[in-house]
Amino acid sequence: MDTVLMEALARLSGLDKMLAEYPDDLAAAFASATGHRDVMMAPDAADAEPWPPMRAGEGL
Amino acid sequence: MSADLHWLGASDAVRAFAAKTLSPVDLLQALLARIDRLDPALNVFIRRDDEAALAAARAAEAEIGAGRIRGALHGVPVGIKDIIDVAGLPTTCHSAVLRDSIASTDAACVAKLRQAGAIVIGKLATHEFAIGGPSFDLPFPPARNPWNRDHHPGGSSSGSGAGLAAGFFPLALGTDTGGSIRNPASACGIVGLKPTYGLVSRRGVFPLAFSLDHVGPMTRNVADNALLLDCLAGHDPADSGSAVAPRSHYAAQLERGVRGLRIGFVRHFHEADLIADPEVAVALDEVARTLAAEGADIRTISLPTLGEFAAVNRVILTSEAWSIHAPWLRSRPGDYGKLARQRLAAGAFLQAGDLLAAQRQRKQMIAAVETALRDVDILLCASSMDPASRIEDADSTGRTYPRQARTPFNVTGHPALAMMAGLSHSGLPLSVQFAGRYFDEATVLRVARAWERAAGTDRMHPA
Repeated sequence: MDTVLMEALARLSGLDKMLAEYPDDLAAAFASATGHRDVMMAPDAADAEPWPPMRAGEGL
Repeated sequence: MSADLHWLGASDAVRAFAAKTLSPVDLLQALLARIDRLDPALNVFIRRDDEAALAAARAAEAEIGAGRIRGALHGVPVGIKDIIDVAGLPTTCHSAVLRDSIASTDAACVAKLRQAGAIVIGKLATHEFAIGGPSFDLPFPPARNPWNRDHHPGGSSSGSGAGLAAGFFPLALGTDTGGSIRNPASACGIVGLKPTYGLVSRRGVFPLAFSLDHVGPMTRNVADNALLLDCLAGHDPADSGSAVAPRSHYAAQLERGVRGLRIGFVRHFHEADLIADPEVAVALDEVARTLAAEGADIRTISLPTLGEFAAVNRVILTSEAWSIHAPWLRSRPGDYGKLARQRLAAGAFLQAGDLLAAQRQRKQMIAAVETALRDVDILLCASSMDPASRIEDADSTGRTYPRQARTPFNVTGHPALAMMAGLSHSGLPLSVQFAGRYFDEATVLRVARAWERAAGTDRMHPA
């Protein structure tokens, strides 16, 4: 695990207190997020839109 | 009435109240006595509300006696997962973060139940914020499985599942973001339905992930599940995800059977994507054989893999949950239990591009399931790949919890129901899952009822 990157991202996210008090939990969170990202695949088509779609106004 | 009032279903209780062979007060007192006796070892309740429940039961008894029936659940006790607001009671989310948070109004789903005459019996254990559990470092102990108290009851609607299986109440509310209604339904051998996204209002329910959260009915039998859904479903303009759905009477089609229905068996979920425990695989084959014998046309079909669904679910869930919990994780990380702290903080390390990639992939997965449901009426697949593990064996729980096929239908929003498929040699429930087309809960419940009627799963209770 890239500890330097993990700590930098944690600080960027405002998690200084958690980094100081629960560094192992933050390391586990970082490993988990990395795992999620590694198995995610984006669609090949550039025009593949996300769900839920953008909708104008409220409740339309 | 028999001495086994604790196994009486809601539908039967309502009939008994109307026939005046049972009173709501007698039923509630029998259940409270059972809870007094058994809950110290099961930890189903975070907060009981005996006084208010007894007052409501006395009022129901008088009203029913005078012929003033308030609704379909008049006089029936219901347990509420403790991430759902009940006016005047704490909504702790099983966490020290919200230990003193008192709800000022009922959640929309609770209001609907009260309108139907149901009696709120108390608030039920959950995993912390519906994500961190089972855990032993929280303000309240984790619920345990009535089939074997050394095993977990599933989660995150753990108190709802355990309380139903223990005979503490005939109805409960759960929520489901990655399978949290259907996991306890599978582990505890009860019936849990995650409705179509938007069918039941989430107003007044503490969110885990906005675009994946569902509220749904949990019961001991299929007829009660349909009855409870009948009372819960409906558009709520105050919930931005609420749908304007065609109105159904879910209980009306229950006994129609499965003759002529086309059922797609998603075998690769438990035979290739994950390898199910052999007892689970045998049970699923038995469900398919039984439904075929009842006249259904069973076909093997394919969907995207469980790994693909799980990745999309995890990225979306973690990103949305981070957006809710970031302020508390920054200022009060010590008020969370270890599991919730680890799982919720993961969102800090995902980027906007990850979330968008997951949301784009999600649309393609919706299309894949919709295409499959053009060729079949219902999907049959695994729910949990294993019986419930020992609750104090964190390694085993951590290994088996993700071995499930529930997240696909949170990603796509299709209705999905989990229920008992039999018992393991060690006496723990095995499970099956049925999923259907958007807003076609009636067919999902109809197939579930056909299996229940053939297998007698509604008559199987812990000793």
